[in-house]
Amino acid sequence: MAANSKTPAASKEAAPKKKGLTFLKSGQASWNLMLVALFVLEFVIFGAANPKFLKPQLLLTSIDDSMSVMIISLFVTFVMITGGIDIQVASLVGLTSIIIGVTWQDFGFSILQSCLLAIVVAAACGALSGFFIAYCGVQAMVVTLGGSFLYSGIALLVSTLSSTASYQGIGNFPDEFKVIGQYKIGGVIPLQIVIYIVLLVIAFILLHKTKYGRKIFLCGVNPSAAEFSGINSRRVIMSTYILSGIAAAIAGIILTSYLGTAKSDLGSDLTMDIVTAVVLGGTLSTGGKGSVFGTALSSLVIALLRFGLPLCFKIGTQYLDIPVGILLVAIIVGRSVASHQSVGTTVKSLFFRKDAQKA
Amino acid sequence: MKALKKLLHARELSSVLFLIALFLVVGLINPSFLNSSNVSACFNTSVVYTLVAVGMAFTLFIGEIDVSVGANLGIVATVVGSMLRDGAPVPTAILVGILIGAAIGLINGWGVAIMHAPSLIYTLGVCGILRGLMYLYTNGAWVENLPKDFKDFSAVTAVGDLTVYYCAAVVLTIVIWILTTKTRHGRYFIAVGDNANGAQLVGIPATRVKVIAYVICGVLSAVAGIIFTSRIGFVTADSGDGYEMKAIAACVLGGISLVGGVGSVIGAAVGAVIMASISYLLVFMGFSSNYDNAITGIILIVIVVVDALIQHRSVVKNYHARLLARVSPDQAVAGATEKGVE
Amino acid sequence: MADTNEGVSSYEIKDALLSVRNICKAFGSNSVLKGVSLDLMPGEAIALVGGNGAGKSTLMKIIMGIYTQDCGDIYIEGRKIEHNSTREALSNSTYMVPQEPMLFPNMTVRENVEIGFAEKPSELDHRLEQVMTEIGWHFDLERKASTLSIAEQGMVEILRGIMRRSKVLILDEPTSALAFDEVKSLFKVIESLKAKGIGIIYITHRLTEVFDIADRVSVMCDGIIAMQGKVSEFTRDDLIRGLLPPDTKKREAKSAPRPVSEIDYNAQPVLELQDFTGYGFSHVNLKIYPGEMVGLAGVVGAGRTEMATTIFGRDKVLGGKVLLDGKDITGESTRQVIEEGINYVSEDRFANGIFRIRDVAENTTAAILNGKRLGSFFLNRAEEDKISQSYVDNFHTKVTGLDQEVGSLSGGNQQKIIIARAFASEPRLVILDEPTRGIDAAARGDVYAVLQELRKTGVSILLISSDMEEVVELADRAVTMFQGRINHEFKKGEITQDNLMAASFGVYHEKAGVKVAS
Repeated sequence: MAANSKTPAASKEAAPKKKGLTFLKSGQASWNLMLVALFVLEFVIFGAANPKFLKPQLLLTSIDDSMSVMIISLFVTFVMITGGIDIQVASLVGLTSIIIGVTWQDFGFSILQSCLLAIVVAAACGALSGFFIAYCGVQAMVVTLGGSFLYSGIALLVSTLSSTASYQGIGNFPDEFKVIGQYKIGGVIPLQIVIYIVLLVIAFILLHKTKYGRKIFLCGVNPSAAEFSGINSRRVIMSTYILSGIAAAIAGIILTSYLGTAKSDLGSDLTMDIVTAVVLGGTLSTGGKGSVFGTALSSLVIALLRFGLPLCFKIGTQYLDIPVGILLVAIIVGRSVASHQSVGTTVKSLFFRKDAQKA
Repeated sequence: MKALKKLLHARELSSVLFLIALFLVVGLINPSFLNSSNVSACFNTSVVYTLVAVGMAFTLFIGEIDVSVGANLGIVATVVGSMLRDGAPVPTAILVGILIGAAIGLINGWGVAIMHAPSLIYTLGVCGILRGLMYLYTNGAWVENLPKDFKDFSAVTAVGDLTVYYCAAVVLTIVIWILTTKTRHGRYFIAVGDNANGAQLVGIPATRVKVIAYVICGVLSAVAGIIFTSRIGFVTADSGDGYEMKAIAACVLGGISLVGGVGSVIGAAVGAVIMASISYLLVFMGFSSNYDNAITGIILIVIVVVDALIQHRSVVKNYHARLLARVSPDQAVAGATEKGVE
Repeated sequence: MADTNEGVSSYEIKDALLSVRNICKAFGSNSVLKGVSLDLMPGEAIALVGGNGAGKSTLMKIIMGIYTQDCGDIYIEGRKIEHNSTREALSNSTYMVPQEPMLFPNMTVRENVEIGFAEKPSELDHRLEQVMTEIGWHFDLERKASTLSIAEQGMVEILRGIMRRSKVLILDEPTSALAFDEVKSLFKVIESLKAKGIGIIYITHRLTEVFDIADRVSVMCDGIIAMQGKVSEFTRDDLIRGLLPPDTKKREAKSAPRPVSEIDYNAQPVLELQDFTGYGFSHVNLKIYPGEMVGLAGVVGAGRTEMATTIFGRDKVLGGKVLLDGKDITGESTRQVIEEGINYVSEDRFANGIFRIRDVAENTTAAILNGKRLGSFFLNRAEEDKISQSYVDNFHTKVTGLDQEVGSLSGGNQQKIIIARAFASEPRLVILDEPTRGIDAAARGDVYAVLQELRKTGVSILLISSDMEEVVELADRAVTMFQGRINHEFKKGEITQDNLMAASFGVYHEKAGVKVAS
């Protein structure tokens, strides 16, 4: 049970474990190293299978395709470090996209105004869900599940305000908007990647170099102890959902620009990739541990996987959920095994271990 | 009298009242709604949701969740559909479908109960794998040309305009309800979710109960997949997408708490009817079905937030009550204090 | 008065309902039970008294099969229990009513009582009606357990026990949440159970109850049964004496000559509580002077922790005032209270103290993230390391580095880090709640040294402790809390373990006190 997994006493005397699994829960640095190894491995395998894979041009395009996952997962990392989860971000991508399209095409907003409005709306959506989670004590999963319904529903309704039929998508954006997703600096480096790197740096500094970031970690490990340290853990937790909402909005803007059309259901299938990227990046699903860098690396690994498998092994893109899913399941099971003293631990010993240590 | 009182206290009742009110309001706005065929249609369309929601209810009872039910439904629909298309006998196909569902349930139960993986993320991963396997199996093609008898059976009615499928689902739900509320072992699901610690003290095998809950969930999703195939008549590559969301929403609407230990499968079934009816009803109210998701989301959020606030209040109230009970009302003790402290 | 151990041998195992022999249990290096033997005859009630950490609960959990003993045997009706498990215990008609009721909150009373039985529901209903009539309790069986008062929950637990046809019923502080008349009715039930030949182990902190309800009494202290015998052969003072560790005198002598720092009792108090009332405590008046260490003794549940956490902004104030240096800080938030200059070290290190998977530095500075000392937006790592390192050095905390996860430290070192966190916020007053619970003797000595060191800086300390020896050793002044109220105050010279123990149990006589035979 969720409550139980938070019990800080869970593995005080973490007796010597099977060596092979320790890396699953120990140091972020060695975990990142493993991700880099995975990354290199992908290059070797895919490169050997099909030399086209190594073309910089193609590689950079592949990253463009996964940009939404990469951006959003950076900030969903914040949410998951607090011990929560955010499955509404995918719906916010579509909401952002359609708001931009409708306000620009039908309401006469300038494209800049449209984008700003979209960001504000997404932040407000994040704030609303975050409020329910942090201040009303509802599980993050349920609220963001409801949020994913609500916000995708609102996106659909917004799309009906347009003169364009929703399945067609709104296109013909001005060039200055298309630049965001399609311009390549020097004809090589997509502007998207530059934006991503800026966001990466911001996320990194925010999480690892500021007092705010520290509070996020502390709230994730033990919200009660954080409160006893004078940290307003509710506010901190709520703020992470606002950040992930804004990230979803930025991803939505870039994706809309990249595709050249605004649709209400953009990004609806991103949830699993985002969660996988965050979990694979070393963030504990129970909170308290994680790194922006790890998430960035793992989202790259997933991006390459989604690009390389079809290119080099002719595997249809529809099958790519299998490797990603296996990755997620393997990591999550491996982690739980590593953090439990023995696999066969009965519920009984789980429950009374806490008392045992107190006595 | 006692039974009536019990009924009034039941959380499911408010869901039933909500459903009736919903029908009446729609009827007031558009009187043409209130006839047997329309109301029955609401129930009939809910049959797949009902089965998935009842299955989901088991995982929620024990305080966990299963978001792979939609993919489970989809893959079973695909396999059963293609077997029937290729001329396999119906019982064989059904048996295979149910076995697949049970296997998926077992995999989920293993990961969550025995390996202690967090259920949401674990089943999300399983969901992805199943989706991929489904594509692998069909190559993305639709499963079509199902036997006509199999498709037509979905329209056969049993009671009034209610289909055999829906009636069977209702009977199944009631049987499960009786088993989970009236039998000794059936109550274990709720008990484990309600107070796992206390369950231990009265000798309930919690791990086994959790695995069984997942298997039941898997089997019911599989049955839902079979009925889905029969009703729709073909299986697309994304069949079952989003059913997990609808099922969770149905359970919450039916009064099942997501922290475990609260609710009944009847509630899940009623919630499923509400969920399935919303888009149908919107049409009668003059709205487009575009409102479907937004309204579902609002209902879901409002219900869980209100529920959480009520729960929180009662917890705090009990905590304070027991603290107050500890304080001696004896003023003599307080008097002694003043003497002791200068 | 009964002799310490003779009582045991005079009973035969085969006559006893339950007998445990030489039970030992250690958690890690911490030996909780050191060879405990206990016999329970049909139809008798044994009162089991003992201070916190004496091992009562552990013993009961072993009897219930929740823990497995390291050595020793359990016999039920003369039959040795081979595989100690909860199911085994239940099938052997042993049932424990835990101190915290373990009901299923969302089930009705009926479901709660009837769960786990093999009988038909109709038979169960019938039997339940019978049992209730017999003992004279009438519940609305359809009420949800979550709507029951704590007293009622306890009664439902007892019903469960009776329904299981338990021959041995363990009641763990059943009256701790009961009102006076409810206690009376519980005692009636116990009498009727005894008349039916059921054996009862009755754990309590209330010594008066021992004389009201028990036939025999066993006093546990420090993992052994210090004394036992017929209740009629004991006086309250005997019990008090038994509650103290056997080597009390020796240790007191050792710790006696301690230079008492001069405390100015005419100065303005650092902390003043005026009729301070909240959930779990009532009308508390207390002054703490600059540089003073005040001990606050009492039993678990006396309201001490609740008082401290309410000062600390964790719960609602119901009345009265908290003054810090004369300034009214009643009802401020935790963050404000810390900024005003009070910090609190929780008794529950795991729940409210450590950030298990974060490192030493992060744990040390958690309470100063709000101020400017670690930077206004960016985190000043250098400053953080400096502060953390200084506490690691001063407290002699054993760490491999500031980047070690605190979850991998020993309890004593974890505690030092939590204390460091409190002092890092540069407070005027620190409330330490059970600072040495669950840590070994050596680490305890370290913590004491740290506290003595800190007092030189002029910080006032309120030391909440159930370890009377600790209060005697450290405190300049001590008060005791009993059932939510401060009932006695002891000046330096009067602080003895006997006085504190007696007052904590609410049986201190103003004039006579309790004298330990010299």
